[in-house]
Amino acid sequence: MLTFIHLTKRFGKFTAVDDLSFEVRPQEAVALWGPNGAGKTTAIKCLLGLLSYEGRIEVNGLDAAKAGKAVRRQLGYVPQELSFYDDMSTLDMAEFYARLKKVSVARAQEVIAQVGLAGHERKPVGALSGGMKQRLALGLALLADPPILVLDEPTSNLDAAAREQFLRLLGEVKAAGKTILFTSHRLEEIEHLGDRVLVLGDGRLQFICPAEELPARLGLRATVKVRLAAAAIPAALDVLHAGGYTATAKNGAGLRIDVPHGEKARPLHLLSQADILIDDFEIE
Amino acid sequence: MSLQIILIIAQKELRDALRNRWFLLYTIAFVALSLAFSYLALAGAGIVGFAGFGRTAASLINLVLLIIPLMALTVGAQSLAGEQEKSTLSYLLAQPVSRVEIFLGKYLGLALSLLASLTLGFGISGVVIALGGAGAVDPLAYVLLVGLAFLLSLTMLSVGLLVSAFTRKASVAVGIGLFLWLLFVFFGDLGMMGTAMALRVPIANLFLLSLSNPLQVFKMMAILDIQSTLDILGPAGLYAMRKYGDGLYSLLLGVLLLWILLPGLLAYARLAAKNDF
Amino acid sequence: MRSLIFGLALALGLLIIALPAAGQQDAFDLHAAMAAAQPGDTIRVPAGVYPGPLVITQAVTLIGEGWPVIAGTGKGDVITVEAADVTLRGFVIRNSGISLDRENAGLTGLAPRLTIEESRFEDVLFGIYLKQAHDSVIRGNTILSKDLDIARRGDGIRLWYSSNVLVESNLVSGSRDVIMWFSSDCTVRDNIVENGRYGLHFMYSDNQVIEHNILRDNSVGIYLMYSRDLLLRQNLLTGNNGPSGYGVGVKDVDNLHATGNRMVGNRVGIYIDNSPRDPAATLLAERNLVAYNQIGLEIQPLTKRNTYTHNVFLENGEQVALTTGGQLSGNHWSREGQGNFWSDYAGFDADGNQIGDIPYKSQSLYESLMATYPELRLFQLSPASDALDMAAKAFPLFQPKPRMADEHPLMAPPTLPEVPGLTPPPTLANLLLALVLLALALFILAFGTGNVMRKT
Repeated sequence: MLTFIHLTKRFGKFTAVDDLSFEVRPQEAVALWGPNGAGKTTAIKCLLGLLSYEGRIEVNGLDAAKAGKAVRRQLGYVPQELSFYDDMSTLDMAEFYARLKKVSVARAQEVIAQVGLAGHERKPVGALSGGMKQRLALGLALLADPPILVLDEPTSNLDAAAREQFLRLLGEVKAAGKTILFTSHRLEEIEHLGDRVLVLGDGRLQFICPAEELPARLGLRATVKVRLAAAAIPAALDVLHAGGYTATAKNGAGLRIDVPHGEKARPLHLLSQADILIDDFEIE
Repeated sequence: MSLQIILIIAQKELRDALRNRWFLLYTIAFVALSLAFSYLALAGAGIVGFAGFGRTAASLINLVLLIIPLMALTVGAQSLAGEQEKSTLSYLLAQPVSRVEIFLGKYLGLALSLLASLTLGFGISGVVIALGGAGAVDPLAYVLLVGLAFLLSLTMLSVGLLVSAFTRKASVAVGIGLFLWLLFVFFGDLGMMGTAMALRVPIANLFLLSLSNPLQVFKMMAILDIQSTLDILGPAGLYAMRKYGDGLYSLLLGVLLLWILLPGLLAYARLAAKNDF
Repeated sequence: MRSLIFGLALALGLLIIALPAAGQQDAFDLHAAMAAAQPGDTIRVPAGVYPGPLVITQAVTLIGEGWPVIAGTGKGDVITVEAADVTLRGFVIRNSGISLDRENAGLTGLAPRLTIEESRFEDVLFGIYLKQAHDSVIRGNTILSKDLDIARRGDGIRLWYSSNVLVESNLVSGSRDVIMWFSSDCTVRDNIVENGRYGLHFMYSDNQVIEHNILRDNSVGIYLMYSRDLLLRQNLLTGNNGPSGYGVGVKDVDNLHATGNRMVGNRVGIYIDNSPRDPAATLLAERNLVAYNQIGLEIQPLTKRNTYTHNVFLENGEQVALTTGGQLSGNHWSREGQGNFWSDYAGFDADGNQIGDIPYKSQSLYESLMATYPELRLFQLSPASDALDMAAKAFPLFQPKPRMADEHPLMAPPTLPEVPGLTPPPTLANLLLALVLLALALFILAFGTGNVMRKT
């Protein structure tokens, strides 16, 4: 449905995306994973026709470089943070894009309701909260009911509650059968939404894996900081070292424990089994 | 290319212009000053029996030369750079529209907003002049004057858009636009005057040199429109009349159209090739 | 088909013209009647076309009834008057020759006391040409010249050594000049002269009264040259343009008194060149309106003994210009403490005596530069030229010396005498036009606020 073939994008001497090839199958949700500068957003901008590139991108058999407008008609795009014309009302904004996409103006009202913004039609977009703006962006992307959604770090600027709400909405959209390509550097987005993950580093594709295997494949680790009585620290270190953990004492009032992603509670369990009282803990 | 999409973008652009503080300020200034000139013309009319439209027109030409380029350069310069700065441009480009549609839509919308300002100013002062019983305006000449002022505004709009296409920040673009305004309105002519005095440039060359300033071209066309002669411009004007004869108006029109098309095409070429959204 | 219809129409037209003429010529033989006439006879000439040329050698009165036509052959003069005390009234005189060398005219008068009234001259090179025809009257005639390039035209009316002539209420259109050569003590009044070179032109002709004439769309409205003791009163001069266009041009004239004239919308309102030339003579201009000209008053810098008072200088592109730059001296810009009204006077009247408390000074850096570098006129109306003047005001170092100063400028325009021919143009078309422009503006605004697109 969506095919990247040897995509390469250079900015002068800097190669932002280097020979990237992959395919997104219908109704699949594929995540582009990687740190900032890995080339995720650049790849998406190439797809959208914002950047020129070498290689080839096909959407349902159409060459994105040659038939950009037809390709974009099949895409709904949700940017990282939607910069809107702040003085326009929510409804005016939706109607403007509805007309641009040549769909019925009545669709504007529908998508506003679909993303839970009913009642905010007359509000200037500038007055919406971050989460509302992002939901509006999703609504706009859905206006023409395109088969493919393209999202660029969709929740990175949202607080926890707004993020959860937005991901739930995205889940519904996915369930309705949309194909989704999104960039992310948040595990929870991947876990919640992704079927497959493409891991990018320095513009190159490192590997592809199912979403649930990502943490392990990445060898992701976390640091658990534990606070406990100073007297208990030596005993605790013994217990942890015996359990195979790397732990260090932390200026007399606690410990730092290195753990694999997904097993952050296990050292705590180990300590409580040894009857060592933990006052507090934190995850870094 | 879809006319419908161009119109939608034009409408959006027009809507933005009508909410733009600077644009409103310039429009108010233009309308107020043209009203003031009309009243002055009426005061004269009381003594003479009618207002010499020549004089009113001269004031209007002067006013157009001063304000219209400022207005067009500012809105043009703000346009693309401002949208790029707010990242709204890249979002618009990600929609199923082509860059030529976006460019033409923006151009059309801005041109319409300038036309609205012009017709408002000329319309209101036209009503005042007519109701004051101080006509002496050849209606055709008046319409042509509005048309020429519109062409002038398009030249400056094209230049403004060109600036905008090459800048990323609206404030920088507007700054460059203001500098160009000073150049077109004051420094260019002052420089030519100084050159003419210091080097005693032959009038043929001085005339050709003056064509490099679209404001001068507009001025000559407007004078031809109202007085059908360039007498008022002295030897260089008489030279131009003799040398180019009936072709003079077409020549000037051609220069003005070049000033509209060339910067406009360059601006579009830049937008079409732009690769850093 | 087309040429057939045209041919038929032409034949029909010729028939209509030829029939009555042929019929009446049977009834009246003008040449025979002239031959038979005694001095002092009055001959009534019925309508008809009478072939020229006609030479009048008796002191007769010819009265045309129903516009009889004296038709020239396209060569030489149409009518020649050789006898004194001849009167002609009510004729159409047409088709003279076109030789400028031979001065072909509709009517050539060679003897005194000729009266030519209420006649129409059509298709003539010169219209009425009087040579040594003193004490004549030219009144109420319409003179339309041949449609020739201006260099090949003759004069609508020419007086040559013909003194004490009254030229009154004539309309002259499209000729070269109406000119008085060596003809003193004439009165020229209530005439309209348009689309010519010099509307009224006086050469070596002293002691003239020139009043209530309308001179429009000529190269120069009234050109006074080498003459003295002239009274120029309540004439209207408008639209006299072109490279050397003047409303009134005054060259080597002594004792001109110009009063109540209106110079509106000319290239130069009044042009003064070496006048007065006689050290004992003066020039007085009062209560004239000089408005909307590119240059109000243009003076040669050496001019002296001019007095200007109670004139209105209104909205001229340049109010006063000196032909080659410099300053004026030895002239009076006020009389008995009363100066002129200047529309660009920026002074004040604290004592409320209707006289400005500070002098009106004509000084502009740009205008001074233009006088030295005429090519700078190219930048007229440019904001840059205004900026130059503003800069000069801010930095007086650059301010040129004033060309002239009116010590007693009037705060309000004085009342001026009425002048014929100033009618306000119709305003309905302009009003409609302005409303159309406003409607367009409103339509665009409506489009911009989205009320148009949404419905479609």
